[in-house]
Amino acid sequence: MALSTSVRRWTQRPSFWGFLFVTPWLIGFLLFTAGPMLTSLWISLHKYDLHTMEYVGGENYRRLFSKDPLFWKSLKLTVTYALFSVPLGILGSLSIAMLLNQKVRGIPLFRTFFYLPSLVPAVASAILWQWVFNAENGALNLGLAIFGFAGPQWLQDENWALPAFVLMSLWGIGGGRMIIFLAGLQGISETYYEAARIDGASPWQQFRRVTLPLLSPVMFFNLILGIIGSFQTFTSAYVMTGGGPNNATLFYALYLFRNAFEYFKLGKASALAWILFVILLAITLVQFGLSKRWVHYEGDSR
Amino acid sequence: MVGCRRIVDCPPDKVCLRYMAWGNPEQLGVEQEMIDRFNGQNPDLHVRLFRVPGSAYGQKMVLMLASRTAPDVLRVDHYNFPALAAKGYFQDLTEFAKKDTGFREGDFFPTAIDEGKIGDRLYGLNALFGGVIMYYNKTLFKQAGLEDPYELWKRGEWTWERYRQTAKALTRFDAQGKPRVFGTAIPPFPATSVAVWGFGGDLMSPDMKKSEVDSDGTVRAYQFLADLVWKDHVAPTPAQGANSAFAFESGKLGMTFDWMGMTPRFRKVVKSFDWDVCPTPKGTAPRSNVIKGNQLVVSANSRHPEAAWRFIRFLTSEPTETRLCAEIRRAFPTRIGVANSPAFLKTDQAPFNTRAFVQSAEGGRTLPINERWGEWTQIFNSEVDNLLAGRERDARTVLRRAKARIDAALAEDPGF
Repeated sequence: MALSTSVRRWTQRPSFWGFLFVTPWLIGFLLFTAGPMLTSLWISLHKYDLHTMEYVGGENYRRLFSKDPLFWKSLKLTVTYALFSVPLGILGSLSIAMLLNQKVRGIPLFRTFFYLPSLVPAVASAILWQWVFNAENGALNLGLAIFGFAGPQWLQDENWALPAFVLMSLWGIGGGRMIIFLAGLQGISETYYEAARIDGASPWQQFRRVTLPLLSPVMFFNLILGIIGSFQTFTSAYVMTGGGPNNATLFYALYLFRNAFEYFKLGKASALAWILFVILLAITLVQFGLSKRWVHYEGDSR
Repeated sequence: MVGCRRIVDCPPDKVCLRYMAWGNPEQLGVEQEMIDRFNGQNPDLHVRLFRVPGSAYGQKMVLMLASRTAPDVLRVDHYNFPALAAKGYFQDLTEFAKKDTGFREGDFFPTAIDEGKIGDRLYGLNALFGGVIMYYNKTLFKQAGLEDPYELWKRGEWTWERYRQTAKALTRFDAQGKPRVFGTAIPPFPATSVAVWGFGGDLMSPDMKKSEVDSDGTVRAYQFLADLVWKDHVAPTPAQGANSAFAFESGKLGMTFDWMGMTPRFRKVVKSFDWDVCPTPKGTAPRSNVIKGNQLVVSANSRHPEAAWRFIRFLTSEPTETRLCAEIRRAFPTRIGVANSPAFLKTDQAPFNTRAFVQSAEGGRTLPINERWGEWTQIFNSEVDNLLAGRERDARTVLRRAKARIDAALAEDPGF
């Protein structure tokens, strides 16, 4: 009797069901993510090459900060990449989502077409873009030549390689992020627009005062995932440039990978991973703090 | 998972060995053929081939060795061999070699034996041996009215200067100034070492403690290579050469330095022009060609080292090398006897200058590879890239900086 009441008390809590539903994920997280993460924190305090392990305290971190120019270079270029690719990508995804939210004939077809590029495997699209950026015969420079511009040497030019990656990142604007925006747009009730139009709001005002605020939770979600994603850029650099020229595309994740699986400096690589984790955690927390000012949830009193 | 060590389908009355290797399908096909032959000849043993894709091979191998789950026999690229041997992952084979009356070091090219040794202890036998050789497009030579380089080489006239003049004569631009044919191309490091050694320079001090990339010869060699691209315009810039636009197979490249093992590929894909091989240009040093192989090693925790030794002896035996090196030409033989046999020297398809392979091997030396190789070549490549990509023009400045950075890295504790 007592058992069934206590069970009922448990099951009546909303949090019980919440936890019940995330249990599979929770078990997976504890087993396959949290465990290795803590192990890597432990390894980051060691000099470890898979053969001998020696405790060195914070030496890996100290060396990264004080005497590793490649660490700073990779961090700087990754941040630069994020600063350009995230806003441009969000703007692009939102624009396409707006277009694909119109009531036009054949819209499912358009949606499919715009989503298609993101179905191409990352390695395949990297190789494809390698050709697009080919300085002599690439589609991009041949296109520029029609308008009389001599295109740069893109992937072979230290100064243009990173912009090339930003440009390439826009290839993904029709992907998952666009779908999320589209879902967000469809969730905005037509009545708001009707009311705005009756009040004489111009299309821009409707966008600014109705669409954007109501889309802000989706925007927030995409922003956080976008920043995390851009900090983890790896495949394209690994395939297309190998980090070159002159380390101009040595993204943070690529540098980490090299230290771990090419140089087998597991301690240093773990330290790199933890630094990245702390950076991303800090950025995300700041975002959450700032979000109170601009993210509006439905049912909010503001 | 890598942890499962029981060998599937191992007959209960036999000692079973696992052999790990990588390669293209043809290569692995031959290895399987050899294994079948070995299993047939040795009723007490059973070898199974364990294939790993080349791109993941290095990582997989290191992880398996570190977790003590490695197969009994492995093929290791020489780039990784000294570093892994230093960690004690491989069985010392010196005593096996001594006891084996059929095994004589003198049967092999000295460079092939050297690569498998750490100090005077033998840890591996060479396989997929070979080195750099010059492939040249005979059709382009004929069109430009140039003399065959191998004939020049035989007369001792195939020098670096002659090579440069030849590259100039081969290069053609179209009316718009776009390159149509390049005389030559700058190979990736370490194949560039043929020039470094040819010009009398060096990469490392003999004890491999200090870099010598700032030596006069090395500077002259790299200035020469950079000038081929940026001054003479007879070799593609990185942008011009991107996406293999001027690969040898395309017929738009006159001469290229590449590994001897490229032969089967060129045989397969080159249909539109005649080609052949020639030793790299003669330099000031007596031995300047790059030699490198893979090593067959026995894992330190193999329970059947004796059987493993028999297997790697079979893989480096005369019949195996005749099949792999003479018929398929996947590599150069480690056995002097095979290299000089009619099976290797006589051929009815390109390349016809088969002696050139032997001459290249005889005029070759091994690379200064030890456990720090990966680390310092990374620095070296990024600095030299500044020169070859034209961001900087003075080889001495670049190489001095490279030396300073390499020496600083080598003075560091290697684990960090």
